[in-house]
Amino acid sequence: MYKRLFEIVQLFKEYFLLALFLVASIALLTFNENQQIRAIRSVAVASVGFLQDALSFIPNYFDLRRENKVLRELNLTLADEVSRLREGRLENIRLRQLLALKERGVYTYVSANVVGKNLQLLRNTITLDVGEQDSVAPNMPIVSESGLVGKIIATSDRYSIGQILLNRELRVSAKVQRSRVDGIIRWDGGPSLSLQNVVKTMDVKEGDHVITSDYSSVFPPGLVIGTVSSTHENPGTLFEEVEVMPAVDFTRLEEVFVITHIADSSRVDLEQHLQP
Amino acid sequence: MRQSAGYILISVLIVLLQTTLARYLAIESIAPDLLLIWIVSLALREGQSTATVAGFFLGLLFDLISGKDGMLGLAALCKTVAGFAAGYFYNENKIVQMLGGYQFVLVVAVASIVHNVLYFIIFLQGTEVGWLDAVVLYGFPTTVYTAALALLPMFVVSRRSSQLS
Repeated sequence: MYKRLFEIVQLFKEYFLLALFLVASIALLTFNENQQIRAIRSVAVASVGFLQDALSFIPNYFDLRRENKVLRELNLTLADEVSRLREGRLENIRLRQLLALKERGVYTYVSANVVGKNLQLLRNTITLDVGEQDSVAPNMPIVSESGLVGKIIATSDRYSIGQILLNRELRVSAKVQRSRVDGIIRWDGGPSLSLQNVVKTMDVKEGDHVITSDYSSVFPPGLVIGTVSSTHENPGTLFEEVEVMPAVDFTRLEEVFVITHIADSSRVDLEQHLQP
Repeated sequence: MRQSAGYILISVLIVLLQTTLARYLAIESIAPDLLLIWIVSLALREGQSTATVAGFFLGLLFDLISGKDGMLGLAALCKTVAGFAAGYFYNENKIVQMLGGYQFVLVVAVASIVHNVLYFIIFLQGTEVGWLDAVVLYGFPTTVYTAALALLPMFVVSRRSSQLS
């Protein structure tokens, strides 16, 4: 009996192996939130982060020249903007005092170098050289001088992995700065982002700036996401197709900041409690 | 035993190469799949069972290093199937001819297409993005790039075998 069974297994061993590993893969896809797998992943992230950090000295001459030029231009623009923002801040302080508004929290930024980029099909992620030792934790937003980059999804002691806006899994609650129209930002694989859930009658125009909205429990409000590059009416639906060009150039991303912003837990608890 | 240890060592090195140096090889976000080239060469060298096992563990290692929460196991699954598919081309009497000939590139391309189609079908479940569009936009260029890179080991094997003969 056992001999016969053994013969059958031997005869179809390739298929048994395939079935075994398919079941194991599907099980991993289904139950991968458990603590042991998180611990293994943390070790893997730390090891690869260390290697990527060690290799990050490899220079790219053409990128450096191009970056230098871009930085000089950006410096000019920012110097001008700083002056205007200073004026704006003073005005804001006066108005807030007048209205007795509650001061918004000032965020703490942790600077980080991008030591690795995983460009695997639609799973675009970046590896940063900051981790739990630097108070970085999953779900913290990542920004650059240009705007929102993404959020942290995994950490080890010294490294972390960030999911960037050009990742199909990431959705960001956003609003058009000028007209305050709300929507959801997501990436569908093209060169630009898509602002979804915008009803056709809403006021959205090319050139409008898109920022994070107050509705997000992960991202603080007011972070620049990008600029509306085109709008199209979608026949047969109530919604408009709004394409948004990201403010951040992800191909040249080298230095970023992690905002050590954790969502107000009482707000998240309340929202979760009220959900049906 | 020594050969198995050698395979494991090369496998770990290739996973590290894929996760650390592939970005330097990327063209417009399209990066070659070095793991797949290695899995196919194992399939043509050792057969279907070895390639299936290698596909699973290499994919799992890659998932652990780069995978997003919720997608752990996806690369393992796709690379298991790709390794299994590549194993159909194993011929123990023509190992060197296969590895050093254009058939190797062809098998890499077939395995890559199987891998990418399966990947996008699973990855894009529940979204409005069509898997066929994603395959055309990302999967096909990745296949072409990976197959082009497979020419390198093919030439090495071809040259070495002609020197030996």
